[in-house]
Amino acid sequence: MLKQISNLLFFVAMLSAFAAFAEATPSPTDEVRASVDAVIALLKDDQLDRDSRREKMRVVINDRFDFRAMSQRTLATNWKKASDTEKQQFTDLFAQLIQNSYVSKIESYTNETVEYPGEKLKGRKAVVNTLIITSSAEIPVNYRVYLKNGKWRVYDVIIEGVSLISNYRSSYQQIVKKDGFPGLLARMEAKIKELENAPPESG
Amino acid sequence: MGTSMQRLLLLLLIFAIPLAGWAEDAATTADTDAAAASQAATEEEDDLFLFEDEEELDVWDPIEPVNRGIFWVNDKLYFYLMKPVARGYRRVPEPWRVSVKNFFSNLATPIRFINSGLQGKFSDAGNELTRFIVNTTIGIGGFFDTAKDHFNVRMKDEDTGQTFGHYGLGPGPYLVLPILGPSNLRDGIGLFIDSRMDLLYYISEGRKYYGLKAYDKVNDLSLDKDTYEGIKKDALDPYLFVRDAFLQYRQNKVEN
Repeated sequence: MLKQISNLLFFVAMLSAFAAFAEATPSPTDEVRASVDAVIALLKDDQLDRDSRREKMRVVINDRFDFRAMSQRTLATNWKKASDTEKQQFTDLFAQLIQNSYVSKIESYTNETVEYPGEKLKGRKAVVNTLIITSSAEIPVNYRVYLKNGKWRVYDVIIEGVSLISNYRSSYQQIVKKDGFPGLLARMEAKIKELENAPPESG
Repeated sequence: MGTSMQRLLLLLLIFAIPLAGWAEDAATTADTDAAAASQAATEEEDDLFLFEDEEELDVWDPIEPVNRGIFWVNDKLYFYLMKPVARGYRRVPEPWRVSVKNFFSNLATPIRFINSGLQGKFSDAGNELTRFIVNTTIGIGGFFDTAKDHFNVRMKDEDTGQTFGHYGLGPGPYLVLPILGPSNLRDGIGLFIDSRMDLLYYISEGRKYYGLKAYDKVNDLSLDKDTYEGIKKDALDPYLFVRDAFLQYRQNKVEN
């Protein structure tokens, strides 16, 4: 009898532990979808002017994208050689560049719908597949995410088979090889200034 | 036609041997790079486990200065000729432009049908055949993608370059083609063969063919969301960005 009770207790304990675990780790697709939906909602909000919309989008993106992991992957072996301040500098600049390019890209998609055909889960990592449906094309955009502190965070975006990170990596490696790490940082800074001063896009 | 095809096959044979060699070279350098990256991962902090699935891109650009020159010319052509034309053409209602795209795409069916077949992807080849029959008839000469819209039979992009890649041929040196843009030796040759599988080539000739090709390109550009402008704006070096994106894009196509 006692043994049965202890078995039962054990079972209940396991069950609640499992439930807690299930609650603590939400599905990667749900989390990515929440962020994408938030961005789309901001796009459709006519009350916002361009700057405050961008500011709000940045908050959503910052919350979902792990720019430090992205920076590590982008710099690869150069990350190891960089000093701590250089790492921090790079991460900040890189975050600004990615935000800029992501935001301006997403601003051009206004009337399109996003589908979530599936996800691939592998331990602490997952790939969330999305499909942007436009009137003339379907663009597969896959988000690579990993679980950090109970939250799925994006560490790469793959658009039509082209990984954002791999793409930046090979360009940046060439620049580091030619102009050194300070040269890369200087070019990134100049680029951000240029983007900030650029007039709003048309057509 | 027959003789030009034979010439091309001969050309291919000549190129095939060195191409195979390049592919091997690129693979070995990629291996050592990957090894270096994984060694770095063991010594680095927690998140570097993310490096495990690192895909290395083989970039071989032996004639970079020449390519950069052609890239520069294409850039000017884009901004001062093609884009203004496409922008003006955007006044044509979008549904019409989508239909034009469907029409040209339907004519290009043999490219996808033959290459799916050559890669042993018979269900994809079957889909292409179905799409062609449905879209040519119910879709009124291919102007409507009825197969996709009503029967959910979707297009899958296959071409000769992908077939070469499927059988292990490496991309070879990166090439920027005048007007046509980024390519590599393998896919450039593929592009030429593709053009001879395109029904457009057989229903129009000479100037009319090139005119229609240009129209197809402008029509595509009018539907594009200013991708190139975005790259020009964001990238530190647009040439490198386009090159690496193109090579990744093609590698992914070959694998799928």
